[in-house]
Amino acid sequence: MLNYIARRVGIMLLMIILVSTMIFFLFRAMPGDPTAFVVDPSMAPEARQVLIERYGLDGSLWDQYKVFIKDLVKFDLGNSFFYGRPVMKIITDRIPATLILMLTGMIIAYGIGVFGGALMAWKRGHKLESAGITIALIFRSAPTFWVALMSIILFSVNLKWFPAQGMRTSGYTGETFKEIFMNLDFLKHLILPSVVAGLYFIATPLLIMRNSMLEVLSEDYIEMARAKGLRENRILYKHAARNALLPVVTAGALFLGSAIGGMVLLETVFSWPGLGREIVQAVTRHDYPLAQGAFIIMSSLMMIMNLVADILYAVLDPRISYR
Amino acid sequence: MNLLEVKNLDIDYVTKEGNLKVVRDVSFTLKQGESVGLVGESGCGKTTLAKTIMRLLPDNGVISGGEINYKGENIVTKNKEEIRKLRLNEIAMISQSAMNSLNPVYTVGEQIIEGIRSHTNMSKKEAIKRAEEVFAIIGLEKKRLKSYPHQMSGGMKQRAIIAMALSLNPSLIIADEPTTALDVVVQDKILSQITEIQKQTKSSMIFITHDISIISELCETIIVMYGGKIMEKSSSKVFFKAPYHPYSLGLQNAFPSILDIDKGDLISIPGAPPNLMGELKGCRFKERCPFRTDKCMEELPELKEIGEDHQIACHYPERVDEFREESKKKETWQMVSDRIINESKGDA
Ligand SMILES: Nc1ncnc2c1ncn2[C@@H]1O[C@H](COP(=O)(O)OP(=O)(O)OP(=O)(O)O)[C@@H](O)[C@H]1O
Ligand SMILES: [Mg+2]
Repeated sequence: MLNYIARRVGIMLLMIILVSTMIFFLFRAMPGDPTAFVVDPSMAPEARQVLIERYGLDGSLWDQYKVFIKDLVKFDLGNSFFYGRPVMKIITDRIPATLILMLTGMIIAYGIGVFGGALMAWKRGHKLESAGITIALIFRSAPTFWVALMSIILFSVNLKWFPAQGMRTSGYTGETFKEIFMNLDFLKHLILPSVVAGLYFIATPLLIMRNSMLEVLSEDYIEMARAKGLRENRILYKHAARNALLPVVTAGALFLGSAIGGMVLLETVFSWPGLGREIVQAVTRHDYPLAQGAFIIMSSLMMIMNLVADILYAVLDPRISYR
Repeated sequence: MNLLEVKNLDIDYVTKEGNLKVVRDVSFTLKQGESVGLVGESGCGKTTLAKTIMRLLPDNGVISGGEINYKGENIVTKNKEEIRKLRLNEIAMISQSAMNSLNPVYTVGEQIIEGIRSHTNMSKKEAIKRAEEVFAIIGLEKKRLKSYPHQMSGGMKQRAIIAMALSLNPSLIIADEPTTALDVVVQDKILSQITEIQKQTKSSMIFITHDISIISELCETIIVMYGGKIMEKSSSKVFFKAPYHPYSLGLQNAFPSILDIDKGDLISIPGAPPNLMGELKGCRFKERCPFRTDKCMEELPELKEIGEDHQIACHYPERVDEFREESKKKETWQMVSDRIINESKGDA
């Protein structure tokens, strides 16, 4: 098992370097002054010269790439034009907000989706089933930003239950993780965007769980579980749902990609100071080092989550061998 | 007292196209320790009947009439919890698809222990001990309890299922083609193990198979089903010497191992089983019976006593000698084949 994880981590690191390389060359393929991707054009000429040498900008693309990779290995993604601070620092500041929002959304979606999907299949033909499918599909196909805006209008503007945007009430400052994230104010800000995220995510676990459950319920081992005289609840949870979960985990891993895409929209609408919003801003501000760094980190995040899902799968399904 | 008494049992499958009258008016009894073999063509309702006795019919299956009295109590009217307590503990099934009957995500041991513990208040340790015991009986090493199903061969899985069925010493074992997927050698071994255990524990058994030669070895009684009805029920000794029903005679031709004639070619019964969907008139076997008369076309024959513990559903038990003679001839069945072809032309 450990061997398997180590190998998978190795492969993942290789993939990250590969993706970073692609991102690097994509950015360089854009028309315009190549130095502009690394060095802020508004700088004083002397300072620029120092940086041009630092990044090998007077050399070939290959030289620049070598510098880029060397820096990457040291987790150095350059300096942001806009903030004038290391990109890495800005990103690590933003990541917790994104992860918390995304994970809360995922927990809501998977919690409700998995149980709901299992129940829908168990009580096949019940009104609940078609209602559940319809609602899930509405929230999946409705534009996320629209749902987000509507929820803001309803719950923040009209009902005034939740704050409309941001992650804390203005004036509140916090430095440590605990001060920023572990308080009621943050929780209040979190509810609305995470519920919207959850609604957007829910179709995947709900529908896959339902289908996979229906499939599992017709398996011979379910009949066997009945023939053994197990109680219905035990059959539902220990046998049917347990096995139906496997494809949901796989689908969840594949779904992460689009989930991150959705986060960019949600963070923008809710002014949520996460990585997604930072990317959008970096692009509009022509803050290339930050945009490039954010892309690299985002794709790395995705790969890490994929790996987690794979490992989870291997733990859940004894038929997977860790070779 | 009879352990099991099935009385005038009717079972339907409700489908979009209509009701499939899969089992009709089936009655038989089973004494403590008796084993009965159930044979009949694929689709004649054997598995359905077996599942019904455990109340394991799928959602669209309904018991539309009759009684199943187990130890004097009617299973048909019992509630879910009462049924649950009967399963495995009293009536255990070795299912037709034993290969896929183990959940792939749990070890075999976990699955056996789960069954034991849902009917007794044994501790986990005691349950493991019991599982080891039944594994020993059926000839599996106890370390196999820790295996996942995918780590076992088909024969091992089959044995594990049998071990599970035996784990609580049930009074009735229903074995639905327990060895179809196995090679002949393993099959023989497992079969003799099953019967040995059954004899030892004095449990009764319903043994379903396509291979009627197995029944001659294993079962005291044989029931021949066709199109959802019992055609003949007899002690196997009598049956294998002298079957009565035209369908049984046809079956006998198809199995060389119990035949005393050596004609080389096997004669099979031409045609296909009846469609049980629409209105059913006359004898179920009429399309394929070489000896049918107008009466057979119109009137359903009742199951009649024709000897000691010997019943058949045919209008003409007295013509049996003639039937036996004729059914050995190829021409007899060739005639049926021609008739079927002609009739289908007539329909078209
Ligand atoms: N759930 C169901 N819904 C509708 N029809 C069914 C269902 N299950 C079985 N049948 C039909 O009922 C008939 C009897 O099926 P059953 O499985 O009892 O046959 P069998 O005698 O066990 O056959 P085999 O020897 O092939 O196992 C078949 O025609 C089958 O197609
Ligand atoms: Mg069957």
